[in-house]
Amino acid sequence: MDKKKVLELIKLEVLSCLNEKDKEVYEDFKLSNDDFPWKELGEYQHLVSLIPSILEIKYPANDLKDKTALKLYNIREEIKAKIEAKKAIEVPAEPVSEEIVLEEEPLVEEKSGFWGNNESEEKVLVEAEEGININSDKNVPGQGSPFKIKSNFKEKTGIDTFLQDSKTETESNTVLKTSPDKDLIEKTIREYLKSHVIGEIELLKKSIKTNKILSMIFFIVSLILILALYFLK
Amino acid sequence: MVDQQKLKDSEIMLKIAGYDSKALEQLYDRYAPFLYTLIKKIITDKDTAEEILSEVFVIIWRQIDNFDFKTNNVYTWLITLARNKAVDVLNRKGGKLLPEYNDDYEREYIIPKLSPEVKAIELEEVLEHKGKMEKALGSLTDAQKYVLELSYYGGMDQEEIANKLKIPTVTVKSKLQVAIGNLMQKLSEAE
Repeated sequence: MDKKKVLELIKLEVLSCLNEKDKEVYEDFKLSNDDFPWKELGEYQHLVSLIPSILEIKYPANDLKDKTALKLYNIREEIKAKIEAKKAIEVPAEPVSEEIVLEEEPLVEEKSGFWGNNESEEKVLVEAEEGININSDKNVPGQGSPFKIKSNFKEKTGIDTFLQDSKTETESNTVLKTSPDKDLIEKTIREYLKSHVIGEIELLKKSIKTNKILSMIFFIVSLILILALYFLK
Repeated sequence: MVDQQKLKDSEIMLKIAGYDSKALEQLYDRYAPFLYTLIKKIITDKDTAEEILSEVFVIIWRQIDNFDFKTNNVYTWLITLARNKAVDVLNRKGGKLLPEYNDDYEREYIIPKLSPEVKAIELEEVLEHKGKMEKALGSLTDAQKYVLELSYYGGMDQEEIANKLKIPTVTVKSKLQVAIGNLMQKLSEAE
């Protein structure tokens, strides 16, 4: 396929307007050719993304930010799992001393609780900052009546609670990197035992076996000597 | 403390990749009106458009690993993502038969697959070039503009546009290609 034909397909692809047959041809070409015009594809993708730039800007409802925050809060477990998975890749399991293991465990439990309901139900007071739009008059499930802004303090609700939680999560991740969680600790102990203690047990077993054989040999030799002495007499 | 208002889009994305929710809020503040405008153009119903916008930010949060930090084209990635999502909802509401919406589908059809050679651009630059884009789009014929609109905002494929306009599919194909080609040329001339 010549470059002109590919460019024609790219023009339709960036509009998601390729039919099944052309899509197949396009994908095949993209995967099997080193001289695929990536630069041109990038330029056309960029061009198409500029089309909505001429639209007159419209604004979503103010409370949408809070609603979005609530949705994000609801998927916190999934995100937490992703963070854990990333952490497992980034921090390879290393033998840790037993003292650290025992001392760090409660800290992990404490940190993991910040996503829980207790935290979300608490009213968090933050110092008011000028220019920051906080929809403090919005109720969040689990929270009481809207908090009126008094003095230079205001209630932190919705996205702010979520954001604060998430920030703490990020901060706690830093702590967690140096304080392995329960599973990691158990895994590390198992690996340590496997590599060190179990090895020693195996050596001991071998040693016992050897000693048994030697004892038997000594016993038989001694028996022969006693019998020999007896018959010589 | 670093003022996040001054952070580049790509720097914000990098923070989001570390699950910094303040960065996501920053991205929301910066992009929500722009993405909402696009979504609202595709889906006219206000509540649905807002729901989609909200979903787009959930996708960003969940699928941040699929953002290409080498090209760092935040603007194009976000616009394409929002457009894909809105068009998908539009097509489903319109009764189009599509595969079940799940994580695999989202990765395949909603998350943008940008060229590794796509040029990075900031939202501010886009807004600065708004006049040039208006001029370039204005130079297209009405027919070209119409098929482009049906395709981009209407989420229609060649056959659907052909059926709507009662013209052959090859004509639609040709008009779209010419429209995009002309748009590229006019925009290049304006810059």
